Amino acid sequence: MSEEGKVASARRDAFAAAAMVHLDHLYRVAFHLAKDATEADDLVQETFVRALAAREQFEPGTHMKAWLTKILHNFFFDYYRQRKRWNSAEEASKVESPDLENFAASNPGPESHVLLKELDAQITGVLRNIPVEFREPIVLVDVGDFSYEEAAAILSCPIGTIRSRLSRGRKLMQQQLKLYVRGEPTSGTRK
Amino acid sequence: MTCEEAQELITALIDRELPDAERVSLDSHLRLCAHCQTVLEQEALLKQSIRETAQRVRTPNELRARIFSDQRIVAKQNRTRRQNLSPLLRRARPALAAAAIIAVLLPTLFFFRATPEPLAAAALESYDRFRSGELAVSKTENPQEIVEQLTRAVDGRFHPMGYDLTGMGLRPVAGLVRQIHGRKVLVAIYQGEGGTLFCYTFIGSEEDTPRHAARFYDAAKKMNFYAFSHGGLNAVLHREGEIICVLASEMPMEELLALARSKAKSS
Repeated sequence: MSEEGKVASARRDAFAAAAMVHLDHLYRVAFHLAKDATEADDLVQETFVRALAAREQFEPGTHMKAWLTKILHNFFFDYYRQRKRWNSAEEASKVESPDLENFAASNPGPESHVLLKELDAQITGVLRNIPVEFREPIVLVDVGDFSYEEAAAILSCPIGTIRSRLSRGRKLMQQQLKLYVRGEPTSGTRK
Repeated sequence: MTCEEAQELITALIDRELPDAERVSLDSHLRLCAHCQTVLEQEALLKQSIRETAQRVRTPNELRARIFSDQRIVAKQNRTRRQNLSPLLRRARPALAAAAIIAVLLPTLFFFRATPEPLAAAALESYDRFRSGELAVSKTENPQEIVEQLTRAVDGRFHPMGYDLTGMGLRPVAGLVRQIHGRKVLVAIYQGEGGTLFCYTFIGSEEDTPRHAARFYDAAKKMNFYAFSHGGLNAVLHREGEIICVLASEMPMEELLALARSKAKSS
């Protein structure tokens, strides 16, 4: 390999190392966007492939986490548009609620870790179940910890759209999680 | 304001994204509307639940392995025969060898750390406070004064790294001593055209590394380097004997990593 090739290779590896710092973040975003774990894995892997291929476009000193997330979003969007698997906003009312009553009845006991695991499954299940246009802002803001401005840049939409979709999306989630949300305030957090 | 109009404002309030003008209107409404107060509490609870649930999600080891074995992401090693090396390349051979070896080892060397409350992460608090203007420091133009002052603070048991970063437009401007987790941490602050960089030094081990740091091994120096991010801040940790050095800056991780590797000395 030429000297230039060696230097380029070293730079490439340094870039890969910097990107890998955000692996958990990207996986969390993908995990909650995708329909299942297999799709989440594919999303993350492809994001890294695309990021490495496009590394020359990354401006040093800018927000790498946001840049990588935008790549993930773009791939996710293309992927679902191709497969036509995402629900439209109009279909929101058709989304079925998880069987929360059945869960409550079959819950094996008071062990906190079991309850926590079940709560995680319910939250994740409901989030994956709402239409993607509402799911994405929730995933970016609540899971990814992005500001409205950053989320708007990633989704290429106005900040106002982020706010309205977050509001609508959380409302949809609450409707499906009503058992939990209704139950929590009785724990004494309310005045 | 109607309850319907209040809905989006409640969402923005929970996300700390509500402008002051709208905040005043919403506060007035919330004082009078028990229904919207309940909506606020429930939505805040939901957001908290989503965040906590997400934090428990970790990248599966299988996916980690898959990514690191994907040659589109991590380059395959390219061997160079010694007899074909030009004199220039021979001189650069240690660095090139390191780069080539890193290319091969990178896939296998990233892993989760399992240290609770790592000192290296806790130490970055001073950078955050400095950045936000909460931490006042008295600056000096004499780098040697900083080294001596910090060394005295630990009774000469160890000393700050004293890196010369003038080539990057950074010079030492102040020193701090922080007591974290019962241990003394020396902090040398560099500033200049190159921005701001903190160099933390303390007695410790690689167990002081945050659990999610990405590790890679520099074969030329026979050293581990740990890269991690915290609140928009990048940091790279390495160990020299019993001394831990953490470089923290807002500069891109790849640059910080390269800097740490260039300055680190094998123990």
